[in-house]
Amino acid sequence: MSRRSFLRGCAAFGGVSALAASLAPLRELGDYTNTEQFLQKYYKELTPSDMTKVITRIEGEVERQYGIRPHVRDLKPMDGVEFVYALNLTRCIGCRKCVHACVKENNQSRSPEIQYIRVLKMPHGSMDVEKGNHNYDSKQVPEKGFFYMPIQCQQCKNPPCVKVCPVNATWQEKDGITVIDYDWCIGCRYCEAACPYWARRFNFTKPQIPKDKINPDMSYLGNRPRKQGVMEKCHFCIQRTRVGKYPACLEACPVGARKFGNILDPNSEVSYILREKRVFIQLKEEMGTSPRFFYYFDK
Amino acid sequence: MAKLDPSAQKRSGHTANYWLGGITVSFFSLTIFFAINSKPYVAAQLEIPLVDKKFLDTSPWRQTYADLVKAKEDLSDYDCYACHDKSKPPLIRYDTNQKIIIPKEHANIEMSHGAHERNNVCYNCHNEQNLNTLQVRDGKVVKFDNIPQLCGSCHGPTLRDWEAGAHGRTSGYWDRKLGDINRLSCANCHNPHAPDIPTREAAPGPRYLHEAPSHEPSKSHH
Repeated sequence: MSRRSFLRGCAAFGGVSALAASLAPLRELGDYTNTEQFLQKYYKELTPSDMTKVITRIEGEVERQYGIRPHVRDLKPMDGVEFVYALNLTRCIGCRKCVHACVKENNQSRSPEIQYIRVLKMPHGSMDVEKGNHNYDSKQVPEKGFFYMPIQCQQCKNPPCVKVCPVNATWQEKDGITVIDYDWCIGCRYCEAACPYWARRFNFTKPQIPKDKINPDMSYLGNRPRKQGVMEKCHFCIQRTRVGKYPACLEACPVGARKFGNILDPNSEVSYILREKRVFIQLKEEMGTSPRFFYYFDK
Repeated sequence: MAKLDPSAQKRSGHTANYWLGGITVSFFSLTIFFAINSKPYVAAQLEIPLVDKKFLDTSPWRQTYADLVKAKEDLSDYDCYACHDKSKPPLIRYDTNQKIIIPKEHANIEMSHGAHERNNVCYNCHNEQNLNTLQVRDGKVVKFDNIPQLCGSCHGPTLRDWEAGAHGRTSGYWDRKLGDINRLSCANCHNPHAPDIPTREAAPGPRYLHEAPSHEPSKSHH
């Protein structure tokens, strides 16, 4: 072998190795995507047997990552049910217990912390959300001269977020819940920009959840763990409400300011509230989004 | 045509070899560098402390008499005739400002019911004929474990809302066909002697990805 061909050989070997090494980070993609997921069909086109496979894959992924076998379900909307949320502004004391009950129930990232609910501290005498402050750090609540207005996904009848999604990864189900397929989302964040309520959250980094804080009761369109680069938001606790339970934020509210139920049932609490109480607005009514989230007063 | 100088040709050959050698060495060092640094890029993250468990507690603020009975707690505090005389109802004393004087045996009672604490007559709710029961103003006797009826005798609209599920805490199933609900009673949240909800500690607010946790109240929105 001549010196020239030896050196050429060395250079070629070095070049190929450098290329291979520089591509090595791509191996990490395996953490959150694989062929099976890549070839998965659109949610609405999945047959029941496809869904079983998808759920088995998700259960395996969660178990590998968090060491806990979850119970993942694909819960469908119930017939004759349309969900409505009503929140009593006279009662809310701004304690933020709903915020943290939500994080716990829905497997949100703890670091960076993702919260679906923001509680605005608003001065009395104004409904202008621009005057609200969600970073208040009061030792004791409620403070004199303020009221508190929690804001989360309003589950609009006319959702702007759904219109802007370029891949149909988010849509409105017939019970009124706007859902996101985390496997279909491309992370363009158009929906975040379109939402007038700042209800959508983006996973900028890989979500971190301590293993002992995982809620194993999961649903496909609801609280299964998300991955980096997808959107998420309040989904009225699909894994609870579609089996008849109240959402977690309602259960946590210490003053009973949160009310939830089926608006198509005339005997439900929300029907009573919308009929009898002073329901003041749907938030940012002028946007024409027609939220299913109502704020009301007692007196 | 210039005559080729063999020594110059040889020198240019050497130069090419040096170049090739240099490139090879740099490729090798790049290989080693990439191999060492092939770990995925992890953004520097703030360690966000988990929220205090007390903010995740969803149990009721107070226990009612009915809760105590259910939990088989000590109910001796509710036996009024252990101290009081059955034949004569205890007297209520007031100071010159018409403020009730709470006897030292009942020092744990904080009286603050009604605007200007005007509901300060014990027998508005307690039954002077039988202290172990309560009474509505029209004389109807109510047991300790049935307080919504008593409270509702004055707070009618609130009782109506409570019965419809629009006032107070409810947990369980919105769909009554699938499960039961637990509707908390008046005294689970309100102290009957001082029914205003006291102030509470607020749970921590939002924490952002690239923002150090702030413990100062934000001034940006004022």
